[in-house]
Amino acid sequence: MSITAAPVSAHGFDAYLAHKRRRRINNWLLVACSVALLAWCFWDTIMFDTDWQRMGGALGIGGTLERFLLIDWSLLPKLLVPALETLMMATLGTILGCVFSLPVAWFGAANVTPSKYFFYPLGRFLMVLSRSIHEIIWALLFVGAVGLGALPGILAVAMRSVGFISKITAEAIENIDPKPVEAIRAVGGNQFQVMYYGIVPQILPVIIGTIIFEWDINIRRSAIMGLVGAGGLGLVFFRQMAMFNYGGVTLVVLAVLVLIAIGEVISHYARKAVI
Amino acid sequence: MSILEVRNLKVSYSTGGPQILKGIDFEVGGDDFCAVIGPSGAGKSTLIRCINRLVEPTEGDIILFGQSVCPLKSGDLRRLRRRIGMIFQEFNLVNRMSVMDNVLSGRLGYTGAFRSFFKAFPREDIDRALDLLERVGLQDHVDKRADALSGGQRQRVGIARALMQRPEILLLDEPTSALDPKISRDVMGLIRELAAEFNIPVLCNIHDVQLALETCNRIIGMQDGYKKFDGPAKGMRKQDLDEIYAMEVL
Repeated sequence: MSITAAPVSAHGFDAYLAHKRRRRINNWLLVACSVALLAWCFWDTIMFDTDWQRMGGALGIGGTLERFLLIDWSLLPKLLVPALETLMMATLGTILGCVFSLPVAWFGAANVTPSKYFFYPLGRFLMVLSRSIHEIIWALLFVGAVGLGALPGILAVAMRSVGFISKITAEAIENIDPKPVEAIRAVGGNQFQVMYYGIVPQILPVIIGTIIFEWDINIRRSAIMGLVGAGGLGLVFFRQMAMFNYGGVTLVVLAVLVLIAIGEVISHYARKAVI
Repeated sequence: MSILEVRNLKVSYSTGGPQILKGIDFEVGGDDFCAVIGPSGAGKSTLIRCINRLVEPTEGDIILFGQSVCPLKSGDLRRLRRRIGMIFQEFNLVNRMSVMDNVLSGRLGYTGAFRSFFKAFPREDIDRALDLLERVGLQDHVDKRADALSGGQRQRVGIARALMQRPEILLLDEPTSALDPKISRDVMGLIRELAAEFNIPVLCNIHDVQLALETCNRIIGMQDGYKKFDGPAKGMRKQDLDEIYAMEVL
């Protein structure tokens, strides 16, 4: 019995060892490939692409840092209005984005879309379009279209918000409990009533949470809109940079930091109140 | 006088797919409290849902209040649906809405877009909703959210919502199977009492045979898409039940 059993178990043991060896070799190959890739990235982007001649010594680097650290506090009173403008841009942009998101989410939710073959792909396409174009590119487009100022910033923020808000909303609509919807249809409710009474109450917490989160992100986005002439703190940043007033640049960065921190606190409490 | 007439009703969910209902005929009259019983998969839910066309019939005809249900287009279908009250197995309440709003949503078929957007229902609807909530014993829970109630209480909200429609027929889809036996009897008793008071015929889908025999005055037995029994609850014998549930015994 042991004679017949032995080769089987030996075979099993050998197979196990061989399998383990193969796996170890595979792992080593994977690590080697990753290291090679990393080395190539490092070589190509840092060693090859950096302008070593222009980089100063330790003194030069330290001197530049020092210029940035000597904060120009005299700029502070002039920052209040742009900071408010940034905040307003984020708020209005988010609200406008929500308005645009309504039809997009309706089109792009498979279970309520008016047409599976036309509006559903259209809705999904608009979501991708909104997210695949960077907010700065949107801003450049709108600065070209409606001129300088906060308005192009608001529009850019709105367009960029549509993708996220409508995608999350559409997914929430797809995940609702269908039973209340059936009940509203059974009492004779029309399309609007089915959505308003059957769907909206179910997705409301998700949507409000998403909007608050998006507003939080939009403060960040609004803060850089000025780089392309669309108002707010970014514009001050751009001017200070153009005047080589590094102390002023640092102050603007600090102002953005404070603004975002304020937004963080507000959205934290707002979300708590909703959910 | 028959309020509902079902003729040779056949349903399959996909073309060429299996038939769920294979030719059902029956009538429901003015004072019927009619139970549809049968094993799981017999087609009871499908039958009930065909009558207000939550499920589309494939063949045959359904005549309700003297008009054929099958050819109706969306507007006429909505006008028909608001005359049919429906009570569901899982209550189908909107959990995040208040009890009152859930009950008032029974009037949506009669409420315009503007009023429904602001949830501004007419005074008489609000009065009726409060009356009905008192009748079903929920006068102390008017402003609570629907998901704060127990199962039996939620089904009472479902009953009040259906009666808000001033329905001319009630469809009940397993109204008690999510409830315990004691609450089930209370709920069925309440429905029978209210249906008798408002003079509404009832077609009720139920799997608890004992409860069906206690509550209803007529039984339709179904098995595998066919009608196997149709008669008064009192006349039902053990052989009839055995025949309906034969598939489960085997």
